[in-house]
Amino acid sequence: MDFRPSRLAVVANCVEAFIREFFDQNPLSHLGIITIRNGIASRLTDLSGSPEAHIKVLRGNLECAGDASIQNALDLSRSFLCQVPTYGHREVMLIFSALGTCDPGDVLESVRNCKEENIRCSVVGVAAEIYICKLLCEKTGGIYSVAMNEAHLKELVLEHVAPPPALAEAAVASLVKMGFPQRGAEGTIALCACHREVKIGGGYTCPRCKARVCELPTECFICGLTLVSSPHLARSYHHLFPVPVFEEVPLDAKFSGIQELSKVCYGCQQLLPLAGSKVTGVRLVCPRCNKHFCFDCDVYIHESLHNCPGCESFCEPQT
Amino acid sequence: MASTPTPADDVSLVIVVVDVNPYFWVEKANASTGTSDIDFEQFLQHVLAFMNAILLLNHMNYLAVIATGSDSCSFLYESLAGESVSDGEGKPPSKRMNKHHTPSAKIVRGLKDFVSKELAFKTERKDNGKRYSLLSGSLSMALCYVQRILRQDPPHPHPRILCFQGSPDASQQYIAVMNAIFSAQRLMVPIDSCMVGSQHSAFLQQAAHITGGIYMKPPHPEGLFEYLMMVFATDLHSRRFLQLPRPTGVDFRASCFCHKKTIDTGFVCSVCLSIFCKHHKECSTCGASFSQNKSSFVTGQKRKLSTN
Repeated sequence: MDFRPSRLAVVANCVEAFIREFFDQNPLSHLGIITIRNGIASRLTDLSGSPEAHIKVLRGNLECAGDASIQNALDLSRSFLCQVPTYGHREVMLIFSALGTCDPGDVLESVRNCKEENIRCSVVGVAAEIYICKLLCEKTGGIYSVAMNEAHLKELVLEHVAPPPALAEAAVASLVKMGFPQRGAEGTIALCACHREVKIGGGYTCPRCKARVCELPTECFICGLTLVSSPHLARSYHHLFPVPVFEEVPLDAKFSGIQELSKVCYGCQQLLPLAGSKVTGVRLVCPRCNKHFCFDCDVYIHESLHNCPGCESFCEPQT
Repeated sequence: MASTPTPADDVSLVIVVVDVNPYFWVEKANASTGTSDIDFEQFLQHVLAFMNAILLLNHMNYLAVIATGSDSCSFLYESLAGESVSDGEGKPPSKRMNKHHTPSAKIVRGLKDFVSKELAFKTERKDNGKRYSLLSGSLSMALCYVQRILRQDPPHPHPRILCFQGSPDASQQYIAVMNAIFSAQRLMVPIDSCMVGSQHSAFLQQAAHITGGIYMKPPHPEGLFEYLMMVFATDLHSRRFLQLPRPTGVDFRASCFCHKKTIDTGFVCSVCLSIFCKHHKECSTCGASFSQNKSSFVTGQKRKLSTN
């Protein structure tokens, strides 16, 4: 049993899903694609932050031929990743379907070089487990997994979307200067700095040099300032200020506070279980604002919304 | 959106979030320049007529109303299965025709209760500071309600949120509002906004841009009902066939964590992504210390060697 219609088609679908999900979870990151064909590694797309550009080029380049060479792939990746600044995390993900590697030199030296430059390499195998891939992942701290079927392959590829936990001593903190451009109105006409064409409507203006760029996040083509929009940064703020874990209220508790137990969930107005009523389920309370919620709201608040409606609807008195 | 039309395509769930912040409405009434502006009573009449129109457009449409105050937020009305928020029993059909049980009457009653509760909160706390409206609380409640509707058996109505906002943006609520916007984007719930105050709101412009909603500030507020019917009344499926107001430009600027003022350029901590307006020795959010002084700046000139 093999992947249908062809392994390459299945892998291309997984990679496309990965690219979209990756930029959703890591909006400030860059991604580049390298292909290995006939033993030669070639760059398909440069390191950039735009998912559509990668997917378009990927879909136009789906042919397979010849052997695979891990050494050439690692050397080419290293030459791109060495330009990444120190606060950035460098990773290589290899989707490997061959049963061996055909290299011009010593592949173990490439593995050693990757380890020295702090590049974390992970491999998702499509065919079978191979020793050199296992060694590569062990030495550089990556994850090696081999897919058993199509659904498993997609699951393994998407596992790499979330960033790996960083060691405290390895994470060097620095303050990076960034600009927050405003989006132009629909009718403005300007020369864009990225394509050097006249563009009508939309576009963002660099706050330092006032050049127009087409999409965010990017580096301004004229003055080099990193341009991001505040939603890109705000996507990760929920990690900084998490919602406290809700506690369960026993059904026979007599509420010793000011008011009696509320009949409905504060978030969705669904009926909550009460002593003597026919409604089943659990009742949860937020320790900060003392409002009661149902189980489904608790799951939604902690997994997706990251805001407690009770805490947000309560204004602290100004001192 | 499904490509083949289904019978449930034009059924909507509209959650209306109304700003009833008394500080804003009283200030607006005092600064009113004559007939080209509306006060709260006229505004409410336009909005109630619009909400009745939503319920008339399709017999399966759902409607929920949330009031945003300066001290609390609460549901005023939900049209779920004929039950009202205040009591759990269903009313017999003859009573529903009574003028005291129409949706408009229920909403007005709910509003009166809400305002008296707000007044009680205020006198309890005994402070007279000016307050912003709690938009993040209402958006969070609206999204929890959408989740509840989506948990029911299919076919579901298509949910959307319509915000009437007049109070200015509160920079303390930036993170909470952005969390709500991203959650709405993931659920594919557009957030529309109709501004009834004098200034624009950067938060709601971003919300409309990210979730694919409509942001509008009517130039003639005395004709509010017409704007509402022309722009906001259509369901999501039919919006594709209409020419809707285009956005005039979105303000994507962020606010700095130290002073809460909006900035054009700032410094971002590489560990936790908090934004500062000037160079600090240490990040106040995550505690990371920035010992390398200028090595990460993008400059074209020669850099001095940093002395550590």
